[in-house]
Amino acid sequence: MIRALVSGIFVSILLGWLGTFVVTRKMSFIGDGIAHASLSGIALAILLGWAPIPTAVVLASIIAIIIYFLEKKTNISSDMAIAIMLTTGMAIGIILLSFYQGYQPELMSYLFGNILAINSYDMFSILIIGFFVLLILFIFYRKILFSTFDPIGAYLAGINIWIFDLLLYVSTAVVIILSIKLVGVILVSSLLVTPSAIAKMFVRSFKAFTWLTVLFSVLIISCGLILSYYLDLPSGATIILTGTGLFILAFLFSLVLKHKSMKTLKH
Amino acid sequence: MLIKVQNLSYKFNDFTALENVSFEIAKGEIVAIIGPNGSGKTTLIKNIIGVLEPTEGSVMIDGKKPKEIRHKIGYVPQKFEFDKTIPISVHEFMSLEKCGKKGHDEKNIIEALREVGLEDVEEKQLGSLSGGQFQRVMIARALLHEKEILIFDEPSTGIDIAGEKTIYDLIKKINEERGTTCLIVSHELNIVNKYTKKVICINKEMVCFGAPEIVITKETLEKLYGSDTGLFHAHDHHIS
Repeated sequence: MIRALVSGIFVSILLGWLGTFVVTRKMSFIGDGIAHASLSGIALAILLGWAPIPTAVVLASIIAIIIYFLEKKTNISSDMAIAIMLTTGMAIGIILLSFYQGYQPELMSYLFGNILAINSYDMFSILIIGFFVLLILFIFYRKILFSTFDPIGAYLAGINIWIFDLLLYVSTAVVIILSIKLVGVILVSSLLVTPSAIAKMFVRSFKAFTWLTVLFSVLIISCGLILSYYLDLPSGATIILTGTGLFILAFLFSLVLKHKSMKTLKH
Repeated sequence: MLIKVQNLSYKFNDFTALENVSFEIAKGEIVAIIGPNGSGKTTLIKNIIGVLEPTEGSVMIDGKKPKEIRHKIGYVPQKFEFDKTIPISVHEFMSLEKCGKKGHDEKNIIEALREVGLEDVEEKQLGSLSGGQFQRVMIARALLHEKEILIFDEPSTGIDIAGEKTIYDLIKKINEERGTTCLIVSHELNIVNKYTKKVICINKEMVCFGAPEIVITKETLEKLYGSDTGLFHAHDHHIS
């Protein structure tokens, strides 16, 4: 449980931070695409006896780069590029798994998330690889933000925007893979979107938006993991439903706040 | 800064967006670009700022390629595509360009906003501004970063008449007081006449270039917009 909580809190910071960019760029679907496509990497690793997380990290980064180039260098739209990679990756994964004889319990952990499946090796992989993503976000935060909000303005300011776009795509892919054992391939993308969707209701600046998103992300994953542990429920689904519950509460609270401010204005 | 466009052609696949366009704009000039929809105005601007590379010919700014000198160019787009529900304050938006260093001095931002006639908006959300206010924020940002060339792509689209006048008066003021070279894409001939000294008329190729009162004739408008628009009478009537 401790290993899951440490890994969970660390990836939740990264997911929250990256989520603000993903939501601002209206590319929420990318999380789904990369997570599902990474099934091919996990299947390959399981079949050959390799370490699944590093294999999937490498493959997801390649998928993110291909999506980027399909989007920018061809007339294929973002959702089309993601859909092509999602289905291709899933199809390769299913074919590879068909070669595997017998039941594969580890695969179920990757599909739906399992906190008990997080061993020390996974935790250190998450902390080390995640540290580099965190470093990239710290160093290039302003440039990624500028490229996100105003690509032409960023270009005119002398920024090579393609470098920072690519960094964002690859970082998102890596963090999604790091979260897979906690939440699972099928549900992970929700953690890129739900904390941002909640935070957006209460803030007026991007700085506050980022901080509050990270805070909600940590809260959702920590509470979800603890609930899943004590109620003996699947971790991925419990984390996602915790997020949905928080979203509903936040939405109702924002309605109350809006109603109060309207009343004050009338008086 | 001298903008020199020589025999510029831009093609993608078999489609020709621009063919053999040439003109020169001297430092401190205020110039309009007019032409019908699909005439290549935006393609021309993208070539000038270096987002697109000419298929043939060249664009040089002070003897350099646009990409090398792009930090001196400010661009105010016709439409700024972003999700208005994303919380970003005017102050944050104006500070974006200061990459890797400390943000802009609060005082400079307030001064730049005041110069474009906006007060007490720096803490407001960007998405809550009106179209006219947003265009002025974009201009204030260009002033803050002391851009030497300002390019406006139909800056009054979606703005009412009073807001339109404010924007064009502001462009003229910046041009006169700071000596900033201004390039304005516009559909409105009255605006072109009132605010600019030169006009570039294009319809995939160069139709004319010069002082609006000389080059905007019935023949020019026919070449640009077709023979039966009635534009010349309206235009003529307004001038008188």
